[in-house]
Formats: sequence, C-alpha cells, structure tokens
Amino acid sequence: MIGVVGALSSAQLKMGSFKHPGVGFLPFGLCIVLILFSLALIISRWQKGGPSTPFWSPRTWLRPLLAVVILGLYALVIETLGFPLTTFIFLLIWIGVIERIHWLKMVSISIGVTVGLYLVFSVFLGVPVPMGFLK
Amino acid sequence: MSEILGMFQGLFSGFGIAFSLTNLTFALIGALLGTVVGILPGLGPSATIALLLPLSFKIGSPVTSIIMMAGIFYGAMYGGSTTSILVNIPGEAASVVTCIDGYQMALKGRAGPALGVAAIGSFIAGTVGIIGLTFVAPPLAEFAIRFGPPEYFSLTLLGLMMATLLAGTSVLKGLIMVVLGLLLGAVGLDPISGEVRFTWGLLMLQEGVDFVTLAMGLFGIGEILYNLEKALATELVTRKISHLWPTLKDWAESKWPIVRGSMIGFFIGILPGGGAVISSLVSYGVEKKISKHPETFGKGAIQGVAGPESANNSAASASFIPLLTLGIPGNAAIAMIFAALLIQGVQPGPFLINERPDVFWGVVASMYIGNVMLLILNLPLIGIWVQLLRVPYAILAPVIVLFCCIGVYSIRNTVFDIWVMGVFGVIGYLFRKVGLEPGPLILAFVMGPILERSLRQALLISAGSPLIFFKRPIAGSLMGFLLLFILVQIIVTFRKRWRISSTPSGV
Repeated sequence: MIGVVGALSSAQLKMGSFKHPGVGFLPFGLCIVLILFSLALIISRWQKGGPSTPFWSPRTWLRPLLAVVILGLYALVIETLGFPLTTFIFLLIWIGVIERIHWLKMVSISIGVTVGLYLVFSVFLGVPVPMGFLK
Repeated sequence: MSEILGMFQGLFSGFGIAFSLTNLTFALIGALLGTVVGILPGLGPSATIALLLPLSFKIGSPVTSIIMMAGIFYGAMYGGSTTSILVNIPGEAASVVTCIDGYQMALKGRAGPALGVAAIGSFIAGTVGIIGLTFVAPPLAEFAIRFGPPEYFSLTLLGLMMATLLAGTSVLKGLIMVVLGLLLGAVGLDPISGEVRFTWGLLMLQEGVDFVTLAMGLFGIGEILYNLEKALATELVTRKISHLWPTLKDWAESKWPIVRGSMIGFFIGILPGGGAVISSLVSYGVEKKISKHPETFGKGAIQGVAGPESANNSAASASFIPLLTLGIPGNAAIAMIFAALLIQGVQPGPFLINERPDVFWGVVASMYIGNVMLLILNLPLIGIWVQLLRVPYAILAPVIVLFCCIGVYSIRNTVFDIWVMGVFGVIGYLFRKVGLEPGPLILAFVMGPILERSLRQALLISAGSPLIFFKRPIAGSLMGFLLLFILVQIIVTFRKRWRISSTPSGV
C-alpha cells in the first residue's frame, strides 16, 4: 500500500521538474499538492499501523498476470497474423490456460466468438481490422 | 409563459426525433444492454459506456449514440436490483442497499413482489426524474449563459470537490485521484498558449492522453483483471419467481417510499458527485428512520426495496441536468457521455439547448420512451434475464477484453493504442487493489481542461488577483459554499476521530 503510493508520488516529483515555465503553472501546483496528499496518506497509514493485509496472496496474482501477458502477445502479433486468427488463438489460450474447461467447448466457443466479433466490427461497423497474411 | 410553451414545443419535436426507427432501435439496444450489465456483476454502466465509446464514432448522429448511452445508464439502474434481490449480489453499486431487504424478501418466498416493486418504483421515479429534467434544465441553462470564467472555475472546482468528498470511501484517496486525473488531463498541448508539455518527446502524446483509451483501460481492462482474481462463481438461481404484481398491502406500504425516493434521488442526482449510489443509501436511511417499525428493516421490509430503487433511478435521470445545462459531469458514467458528446462535436453546456435542440430534446424524449421500454423488459421478461447469470465469467472476460482491443484499435488504427490501454488497465487494476477509486480520476481528467482554462482566463481578466473568485456574486457564493462544505467535512471527520479515541476500548 505504502509502496505503491510512494512510487506514485515519486514519479510525480519528476513530472513536476519537467514543467515548462509559464505553462506549467497549474501542473506544478498540482504536483506539490499530490506529494502532500501522498505523504498524508502514508502518515495516516503508518499511524494506524495494525495488521497490514498482504498486498496479494501468491495464488491470486497469477490469473491477472497471465491475462496481461496474453493481452501483450495479442498486441504483438495482431498485425502479422491478422485479426481473425489472432483473436481465435487469444480465446483458445485465455480459456484454456486461465479457465481450464473442456477442449471441445473451448474450441467451439472460440470459433463462435471470433466469428461474432468479426461480423460486428468488420461487417457492420466497417472497422478496417488487420487481416495479416490472410489477405 | 412563453418559456413553458417553448419547452412543450421542444419536447414535441424531441419526440419526433426519438420516435424515428433508428433512434427507437438504439434506445432499445441501450435499454437491453443496460439491463444486461446491470444484472451481470462485475461490469458496471461506466465500463460498458467506455467499451462502446469507439462505436459512437461509427453509429452516426450524436443524438442516436447519446440516446443509446443514456439507455445503458438508466437501464443498469433497473437491472441492478434483480441480482441484489435474487442472489444477494449487487449487479452494480447503486443496488447495494437493495440486497439488505430484497434478498431477505426472496428468502421468504417474496422475490416476486420485491422485483415488481423495484421495477414499478424505478419506472415512476425515472419518469419523475425526466419530468424534472424537462422543466429544470432549460431555465438553468438560461441562467448559466451569463457565467464567465470565474464562475466556471468555482463551479467546476465545487463539482469536483463534492464528487470526491461524497462519493469515495476515503477523502484523501479521492483527492489523490483527482490530482492524478488533472495531471493526466494536462498532457499534450496547453489550452491557451498551445505549447507542448509532459510528452517526453513522444509524438503520440501530443494530442494528449486519449479519453477513450484511458477509460477503456481503467474501467474495462482494470475491472476484468480485478475480477479475474476473485474468480466469481455464479451460482445457479433455481428459485421460482411468481406473483410479480405486489399485493394491495405491499402497494400501500411502498407508495410513499417510492414518492420520497423519487424526490431524494432527484435532488441528490442534480448535485455533482451525488448520483445514484448515494441517493439509494440516503433513501434507505430515511425510510428506516421514519418507519414505525424500523426493526423490520433488514428482515425483508418492502420499503427498503421500494425507496432506494426509486431513488437511484430518479438520480440517474437528474444527473443529466448538470451535464446538459452546465457542461459539468457529476459522476463517472456521465463523464463518459460527456466525452461521447465531445467526440461527436457537440459541446455540452448552457448553449446546448439552443444550439443543438435536436440533441437535447431528442435525448430527453427518448428517456421517457426508454423508461416504458424498461418497465416492459423488466416485468414480464425477468425470468430470461436471470438466465443471463448462467453465462460463465470465463467466457465473458476474454470477450470483453477483445472488445476493448478492437474498439481502441478502431479509433486511430494503431496497435500503439492497444498498448496504452493495456498499461492503463494494469494501473486501473493496481488502483483497485490498493482501494483507490478510478471514478474521481476520470471526472478530473474530463474537467481538467475546463478548470485550467477558466482559472487562467479569470486570472488574466483580474490581472493576477485571486480575489476575482470572491468579488463576483455568483462565483463568490459558489466559493463560499465550497469552503463551507469543506469545513463541515473536516468537522465531521474530526468528531468521528475524537469519538473513536475517546472510547475506552479504542486500542
């Protein structure tokens, strides 16, 4: 808790020094206010002391972390592999790794959702989705 | 007299717009979506509107897209009660209090009347809210036309402060989020001199942080990541619902709570930061206090369902008033609609009613229609909605994430935006972990430019003297109110602390 807020405020410190003269009037004031607030929060935490709940238990962070990794991969390969294929793989991995359900169900859901999203975005709304090598 | 005539004329032309086939369809889509997200726990109206922001580019006219988004917002107020009553899980924040007595009623086999009273109360209150909106908004806008930069600065500041102090659990955390939001809003070109700041040389950041990307990341992705951790296990609802129509006795008991709830909701809804969540809490408190049998509350008192459910709906309608007349959004969901209007090239503010009467009256009229739609959707079809809870989160989560990705991509056709959204998603997730609410941040982000521009313009007018905010009558009274409000908050906080420390077992 303290760590995160502390990190946030230090990041803001740097931003304060980045200000342009004149233009940075309001932002600079805000940075100072932010630092003050963060300090106040840290102090009030520190005063209370008490049992600090662990930031996250070792098991719970796994799923969000996996989700972020998959999202990153998705953004990496979407332009080369194309939207339909990437989306299909994304769903397979997500449902397979994070949720672990029966493979037949997994594949059929993935195909269904991919087709559905493709229809909504590309066909109805005319979004130029990247097609990759399928073009 | 001619003003009232004008309002009716406006309303009639609005109905003309709202009854077109496209607008009716989108009002229905909005109402449906709203009901769905209201029912599904873990996806609120703010997140849903954020998800649909990119689509508003494609839908076409501003009227149509705002009609849909408004539908989502007030539709969620209906849907939220369903899961509160049936499974004791609030579908969204404004229905938390409904759980207390609604679920107890369901346990006693009275789920039907509870759902019925919630839907009917919502309908009555929603309509009361819209009638209020119809008649309060035009004169308020008329009044606000005279506002100059000092007035706007005071008003925005007051709005932001109240939103933070009233809505959040911790004042300090809320304020931190406001400041962060203001700073994020400052990235990009300076609104007055056009200089570039905070971009660290990144060209992509010159236009500023894109609202849609920010909102989708913080609300969409952030919420999904947070929920993944908890692994929501939705249990199947097998309880049969019968006798939706409340008995005469139920009706007699809930009549006045609905009326009071509508009033409470309306007045709290107008206030910045008020909104649906607080109004439902206040209404519950009021009902409990004036009830002859307060001991029945928490054990299935129908008043505890009727009041809050009415209050949150009328608050939802009323919160459109500050948006459409002053251009100041009062809560996160309304901030999304504010952004959608800007994206469409419509500037919300006192001039909206005169410059774009089609938008104002079209949306207002559609809200009357949407409420009727929701009543029909919610009463006879409630069984179908409950089935929605069978859709496992396992499938919903990746679909929502994909929706965000493609949506964000579609705005500028760059993968860069997906990355930015991902980063905001992680930040949003961490915020939720440490108990920081992203709502005030998004509000401050939207209001930041208004606040900064009006502050600097006002200071230019007064040649640098901050007294300008106190010398002009309207600005001065707003500022006075703000100071009074902060003072009261401080006193309340310290009294609480004093009480805690003075209790003997305080260790």
